[in-house]
Amino acid sequence: MDDLQFRRAIYADPNNQDAETIAAQQNDASKKQFAQEICQLDEKIMRALQVPVPEGLSAKLILRQTLASHQVQKRKTRVHLALAASVAIVGGLMLNFMQFSSAYTNLGDYALAHVYHEQGSFANNAGNQVTLSSLNKKMAAFDGNFSKTLGNLIFADYCRFDGMKSLHLVFQGITSPVTVFIVPKNKQLSFSPTFNDNKLFGSSLEFNRSNIIVVADKNESLGQWQKNISETVSWSI
Amino acid sequence: MMTKQVRYEALVKALHGDLYRYAYWLCHEKQVAEDLVQETFLRAWRALDSLKDEKAAKSWLITILRRENARRFERKRFDMSEYEEATITDTQSVTTEQQLENHWLREKISQLPPEYSEPLILQVLGGFSGEDIATMLDLNKNTVMTRLFRARNQLKEALEAEPVKRGMYNG
Repeated sequence: MDDLQFRRAIYADPNNQDAETIAAQQNDASKKQFAQEICQLDEKIMRALQVPVPEGLSAKLILRQTLASHQVQKRKTRVHLALAASVAIVGGLMLNFMQFSSAYTNLGDYALAHVYHEQGSFANNAGNQVTLSSLNKKMAAFDGNFSKTLGNLIFADYCRFDGMKSLHLVFQGITSPVTVFIVPKNKQLSFSPTFNDNKLFGSSLEFNRSNIIVVADKNESLGQWQKNISETVSWSI
Repeated sequence: MMTKQVRYEALVKALHGDLYRYAYWLCHEKQVAEDLVQETFLRAWRALDSLKDEKAAKSWLITILRRENARRFERKRFDMSEYEEATITDTQSVTTEQQLENHWLREKISQLPPEYSEPLILQVLGGFSGEDIATMLDLNKNTVMTRLFRARNQLKEALEAEPVKRGMYNG
């Protein structure tokens, strides 16, 4: 290693631990002296570079960060709250929509669906289970009254007809039960005088404040049922 | 959240001194250096998750600080008329010989062109190797070594040129 190379190496990095430079120092006293001189210079530079750090700088740095992240957190919680509120509102609306909006647009469709839904619950040969007086007690809620029974009444109770409180009657029919709904008038479902699918037929009677819907299979005479109902039912005002 | 806070505080405590000194030698103004360090640490906090290797923390912070410093120039665009670098303030009272020498040498260091002083500061203050400095400054290693050589050479020459002028003349 020649002198120039050595000087360059030492100048560039006085703490050079290169095997070559160390060997060069050991073989040549003047080189060693030079290296020491530069090391001393480096120490001086080191001392000179150690400018005093402002007191409390680290505390300031931590404080500033704490404040900044606190603000971020506050903003975050606000955002979270807003998000939660939005989700709750959307959830509420969905629930509302699903519960109270109908998938059916007319009385007939809903009536058929309702009958199919409860088809298994009633046996046609169950006999007369409900008396006329208890039926009329229930009818009072619709301001209606039957003067005589229409047949063997298997079941009579309030039920939800597309979210409306209505009276659900099941009579014994010729081959299968005949279902009669007394439903308050409502704009949500359009009135359908007659309706049917491949098994069941239905017809609706329109009164002042209520509709009476009869659903039965094809062996029943809906006309007869309608006539009977019209003759026996009376409405108080 | 808490561990991030702890990491950050440890980082501040361990490195704020080095970083401040580095900033000071970059801009030669105490207030600006302090602002730079604050900005750097704030950025570091935001990006702390991206710091995987704690050993690389120092060079990572220095990289942020250099970028921050460069941004300062973009923002200000002040006219680059030369001003006397020797007007660097040193509020420490210059009393002892040691402090006198420090003061004198500081002036000399700040008179070095920045491309020479920066690697020198990184090497002496930061304890970085030639390779580290080369990656940080985006230079090749030979350039860095040459600049280090020139920086020390100039300082040494300056030191040898005016040894008589410094110090106090008593009597």
